[in-house]
Amino acid sequence: MLPLLLLKTAQGHPVLVELKNGETYNGHMVQCDSWMNVHLREVICTSKDGDRFWRMPETKIRGNTIKYLRVPDEVIDKVKEDSFKRDEKRPNVARGRGRGRAVGGRGDAGSGGRGGGRGPSGAPGRGNVGRGRGRGE
Amino acid sequence: MARKENALDLGKFIDKGVRVKLSGGREVQGVLKGYDQLLNLVMDETEEFLRDPEDPLRTGSQVRKLGLVVCRGTAVMMVSPTSGTEEIANPFQNAEEP
Repeated sequence: MLPLLLLKTAQGHPVLVELKNGETYNGHMVQCDSWMNVHLREVICTSKDGDRFWRMPETKIRGNTIKYLRVPDEVIDKVKEDSFKRDEKRPNVARGRGRGRAVGGRGDAGSGGRGGGRGPSGAPGRGNVGRGRGRGE
Repeated sequence: MARKENALDLGKFIDKGVRVKLSGGREVQGVLKGYDQLLNLVMDETEEFLRDPEDPLRTGSQVRKLGLVVCRGTAVMMVSPTSGTEEIANPFQNAEEP
């Protein structure tokens, strides 16, 4: 389970974000990105000592100031669900790519594939195109 | 993962009052005039909320006028709109934290 995947899945859920400076932000995660920047809505900010509180309609937090986030337990299940769905969908795509690359490494089909792309640009590619097409089809 | 996606788009805060917390503890408020993808900010009519050296918590009473300011993106920790931001009583009094 990847941390950023979990966060991505937590979008729309209530989360708690603690910053390095000790302040905490409770709110609904609207969005997060690959830098862990987080956009929260309906936020309650708690001071470091836990004595003072602020309400803010929304807030954007820079990822590199975050110490940790708490996410609700159900998000875990959702991640598993999602990754399961993805696993069901992906293998075909992944295999397709995998095969292409793997065989390409060995030489034949790979050059075929490339040849197809290069072909129109010049003569040297044509030999490959011919081979590639023949084998590919 | 989409790399271009950026959760820090401040487009809708332009020409609005924003409150910005900076790393190191400073806190400023002003009208957002511009920003870039590094989160460098241009703010106008900026004022800084000074802290009481005795009490590191923000008092909010004392301010220092800064005027037109460029905030370096790497120092920006948090951006939120000024309107709707208010100090409140402990909302977790009854309900335990989630």
